[in-house]
Amino acid sequence: MNRPRLAIAGLTACSGCQLTLLNCEEELAEVAARFDLVSFPMAESVEGGAPFDAAIVEGAVSTPGDLANLFRLRNSSRLLVALGTCAIFGGVAAMNNGVSTREELVAAVYGDGEKTVESFAPAPLTNFVSVDFSITGCPPEKQEVMALLCALLNGTLPPLATYPVCTECRSRENLCLLLERKELCLGPIIQGGCNARCPATGIVCEGCRGPVREANVAQELELLLERGFGRKEIERRMSRFKPEWDYGQRR
Amino acid sequence: MAKTTLKNIHLSHFLELLRLFGELHGPVLSDQGVFSFAPLASASDLQLNYSRTQIPPKKYLLPFREEILHYQKGAYRQAVPYGSETVLFGVHPCDLDAMAYLDRVFLAEAADSCYATRRANLTLVGLSCRPDDFCFCSGPRESAACDLFLQAGEDGFSLTARSAKGEAITAAAADLLVETEKEIEPPACGSCNVLPQDPQLRFSAHPLWVKFAEACVSCGACSVCCPTCYCFDLREYPSLSGGAERVREWDNCLFVTHGEVAGGNFRATRLERLRYRFLHKYCGFTPLTGITSCVGCGRCKEFCPVGIDLRELFQDLPLDCGRTP
Ligand code: SF4
Ligand code: SF4
Ligand code: SF4
Ligand code: SF4
Repeated sequence: MNRPRLAIAGLTACSGCQLTLLNCEEELAEVAARFDLVSFPMAESVEGGAPFDAAIVEGAVSTPGDLANLFRLRNSSRLLVALGTCAIFGGVAAMNNGVSTREELVAAVYGDGEKTVESFAPAPLTNFVSVDFSITGCPPEKQEVMALLCALLNGTLPPLATYPVCTECRSRENLCLLLERKELCLGPIIQGGCNARCPATGIVCEGCRGPVREANVAQELELLLERGFGRKEIERRMSRFKPEWDYGQRR
Repeated sequence: MAKTTLKNIHLSHFLELLRLFGELHGPVLSDQGVFSFAPLASASDLQLNYSRTQIPPKKYLLPFREEILHYQKGAYRQAVPYGSETVLFGVHPCDLDAMAYLDRVFLAEAADSCYATRRANLTLVGLSCRPDDFCFCSGPRESAACDLFLQAGEDGFSLTARSAKGEAITAAAADLLVETEKEIEPPACGSCNVLPQDPQLRFSAHPLWVKFAEACVSCGACSVCCPTCYCFDLREYPSLSGGAERVREWDNCLFVTHGEVAGGNFRATRLERLRYRFLHKYCGFTPLTGITSCVGCGRCKEFCPVGIDLRELFQDLPLDCGRTP
């Protein structure tokens, strides 16, 4: 059997998504045997080795170096997979994109001393290249990452769940925090697949997996306003993992 | 006169006796404060006066997610559900009727083997109820779709066996049962299900259609919580070692993916999907045309975050089924 050639790379991010893969301890030996892990800078420091069957890319694009890496991966790989919320939506690093300017943010983080790395507002991969598949989550779920690898091995892509967090939340017989406690839960418009991790422990869904398809954003906004939350607070919470929302969107 | 009355003081003994027939489950209140069917560790956990559980008993027959097929080395193997006898105590008439409906779907020609195995292992003990504001029925009723039915009265329950299993239970409980001069009256109301609607109604020009389509967030709660919603999605996942499993998971007709096929979507808009839901719930389709699948449990109304009640689209809302007890 041909061993698919894999590149796993990180742009501007916390490396949590790549760590998810390293955390699949039970399967890791088998993964190493079945794939040709050509480039995995986080696990070892070998670079190069193109072309790839698939490049799995974590993180947002925020520096000229990120951009060069991304182009290199896109050009040398048959499939490009966005791994995690940052790669798909910008993620936590992008949360202040619409709030503060780049200069303000850089000054706040680095002070006005040394010359800093050149950077721009963190943006999703799709702003620059075409992406063949996405695995969402901050960080992604282990079993979805494994489903991707198993599917790649079989020359296909996995059918992941497409329903919102509420579906799994209700199926787990959780108390609905939005309805029963009037809390700011984003479950109805957020992509499920995490088995409603947060509401299952009594914490609202913060929306770390980004919007579900056809998210009824306008109705969610109405629901939250009705429960007494201010527009500003709602927008602040919603932009935690994805900076730009169309608040009028119903489908 | 037959001994068919179980006094309240004997209920805990009766529950212990039921354990002889299988693992005992019943309505409990979870730590989070949600009514749910769960194993009854002790009789004191039982919530006799529960309104409705969030997830209906269909979870015992059709779990949210299950492997139904396994593929390895060129051969398919059907999954055999782990089967142990289960006694489900305290099921309300609407939920019993709902399981009878699911039986018609899954045990008809070419019975679903996973469902059939689970169904054969399930003993149903029904319990009368008192409708609340969310129920679609107009009064208490009985259901014969069980093994044994308990009609609650002042100081006890009147038992009616509905199957051989039910008779075996009453026989085993003979010592706990007494005769009563005045039997607890079964309610006169036979069935207060939502009546079947005209399929053409789904194309009515009612302004609520558009309003509902705009408000629905496609959260899935209405079907996840509906005791007769059985639509499922099938997905296949290969494993690293070469085999694969086929998984079945609950689906909802209000999801954009529900009618999606290669190259298009049978019901591309939420409005079309709502019309479809209306058709399935209140009109039925082949081979169950003309049979409403709504048993009136009220869950969709209670758990919908935007308060959608499709019955408002009926020409005349059958708030009263006409057979008031
Ligand atoms: S708690 Fe949140 S995720 Fe769960 S059902 Fe309610 S709104 Fe949906
Ligand atoms: S419940 Fe929401 S915030 Fe929590 S893991 Fe799932 S998507 Fe992320
Ligand atoms: S449609 Fe609603 S009321 Fe009718 S059976 Fe389903 S959840 Fe219950
Ligand atoms: S519960 Fe209500 S909002 Fe959710 S999918 Fe059903 S009709 Fe739509």
